[in-house]
Amino acid sequence: MTTFWDILHLLTATPLVPVAILGLTWGILGGALPGISASITMALVLPFTYTMDPAMAIALLACVYIGAEYGGSIPAILIRTPGTNSSAATVIDGYELNRQGRAGEALGISLMSGVVGSLFGLAMLALLTEPLSWLALAFRPTSYFALGVLGLSVIASMSGDSLLKGLASAVVGLMIATVGTDPISGVTRFTFDVADLLSGVEPVVVMVGLFALTELMSQSGSTAVTQLGGSIRIRLPGWEMMRKLRRSQAIGCFLGLFEGLTPGGGGSVAAFMSYNEARRWSKTPEKFGKGSEEGIAAPEAANNTVASTALIPLLSFGIPSSNSTAVLLGGLLMHGLLPGPRLFEQNPQVIDSLYVGSLIAIIAQIGVGVLILPACVWLVNRPRPYRAGFILALILSGLYTLNNSPFDLGLALALGLMGYLMRLARFPVLPMILGVVLGHMVESSYRRSLVLSGGDFHIFVEDPIAVGLLGAALFFIVFSLAREYREARRTKLQETHS
Amino acid sequence: MKQDFLSGGVLVALAAAYYAASGSIAESTLSDEIGATGLPRLLAMLLALIGVALIARTAFVALSARRARVPAEAPAEEEEGAPLPRAIGLLLIGGAYVVLLPFIGYFLAVALLIAGVALYEGAARSWVVPAAALGGATLYWAIFVKLLGVHQPAGTLFQGWLL
Repeated sequence: MTTFWDILHLLTATPLVPVAILGLTWGILGGALPGISASITMALVLPFTYTMDPAMAIALLACVYIGAEYGGSIPAILIRTPGTNSSAATVIDGYELNRQGRAGEALGISLMSGVVGSLFGLAMLALLTEPLSWLALAFRPTSYFALGVLGLSVIASMSGDSLLKGLASAVVGLMIATVGTDPISGVTRFTFDVADLLSGVEPVVVMVGLFALTELMSQSGSTAVTQLGGSIRIRLPGWEMMRKLRRSQAIGCFLGLFEGLTPGGGGSVAAFMSYNEARRWSKTPEKFGKGSEEGIAAPEAANNTVASTALIPLLSFGIPSSNSTAVLLGGLLMHGLLPGPRLFEQNPQVIDSLYVGSLIAIIAQIGVGVLILPACVWLVNRPRPYRAGFILALILSGLYTLNNSPFDLGLALALGLMGYLMRLARFPVLPMILGVVLGHMVESSYRRSLVLSGGDFHIFVEDPIAVGLLGAALFFIVFSLAREYREARRTKLQETHS
Repeated sequence: MKQDFLSGGVLVALAAAYYAASGSIAESTLSDEIGATGLPRLLAMLLALIGVALIARTAFVALSARRARVPAEAPAEEEEGAPLPRAIGLLLIGGAYVVLLPFIGYFLAVALLIAGVALYEGAARSWVVPAAALGGATLYWAIFVKLLGVHQPAGTLFQGWLL
């Protein structure tokens, strides 16, 4: 049992405070670099932790993760380029608010919603890690399959004016996800003898290609001047705004908790799902996609919640639910720490440092986030031709770090062209990204389930978790379609009357 | 209207190519009932179906409009963004970076990339362009190679002395 004196000892007799702030700063900077995901930011710092005290090393990695989740939203809002996978949903309304000259406000909402999500996530981490361990054990392949289907159900309301085009985009995303080694038999698919394709297409390459490169291509030759104002500052939301955002933040926290607990969920799925749900429950759903404050609050609360709650299955059973938690698992193993109940018994100082360090990072996030921003804004305000050159160089430099292969760069450029053509033909790209992110999990868990049942499809209705998740997916789809139908009908009636 | 018709056709063609490519997936003795080709073939059929549906919907709207003797749809809003050739030009500069990177190394490739994109995007031809290019290359080299210790190609042409 941790006492007040243990915490005081950590704060005064160990370098936990500077370690937490250093990790947070590193995380924000890394997360803000397009193409460098939270996991890469953590992986880059991992070798430096080798000689550190294990408790400090794990706290540092956790704080990097927290920082990267916020850092990813900075370029998402300022240059329509998500710094991390999980900030992709923030692009939608964050960039719209930026275009309306409200970048400071968007960043403030992102920061505070992130703090709310992180605090909630940390509280859940401290409360649920041990008691909920049985749930993660109960997950079966059927449950994973249902989880993936639930993530894909978001597509129904992400398709813009045409559900057919949204579905086509998602199917192409699922096709991209089939490239590489087959998850069951191990044979290669669609690799065309290219060694770089054996491990599949990295989702981050797809995201950078479809978001960042497509945007750069679309802006090419533009003479429009996009000055953000000499001194863009984060405008932290007041009480009134926080009250207005509480519903969307609560949705983000709840779905972040849910996705963090379920292996394979991750921040991206939580962010997209909470964006979708925030729109569904909003009093002003028509503002979504056009610069809605709630459209930023929900995904940012969600992905920051996941940064803490994803540690629950990791610390309880050693199940990494995302790339970032896999890096953290690597950090634990590197220091000879085995996750599980014995970690709590034998190394309580590691757990205490993790919790207290995370809390310090979350609180310091408000100050550090404000201080770091001017450097980011200065970059955005450079003349457009130079900015385009620097952004392209940054994207290509970051992508190279994934596998040290020029192939990823060529692939991202090709996907940039694809995104540009999709934009011309009015196809949404978000369903494609969801397809790429979830494709592997859906296919592998579906097939594993059928292998277990000997081809009997009843296995999906025999698992209560799977039934619940599939039911929720069906509910989302029907609800979205009904809503689209109602809106279309209302528009038609209005046209008839006018 | 024409755009959706064309898009539907492209989807059907893509589905056919993907289905055909799935034929080259090897059979494995470890395979399950569905097999490595199961999902790809299902996806190919689904995409073809969506493509056909898109074509059919477009044709239906066009026919209905013709019968009603009204324009099939309101004139499309002008697309935002650069025209295709302009956008592809930027892509080609990126492609040149990818090709040159292993030969001339990271530092020089980044400098050329920044200068190339800046000039292509309309920067005035002055000393600022090479200064920004060299400054940018130095900054990125310092961050990625020196600070973060990330491997970047040294280049074969100059034996890596520029890195």
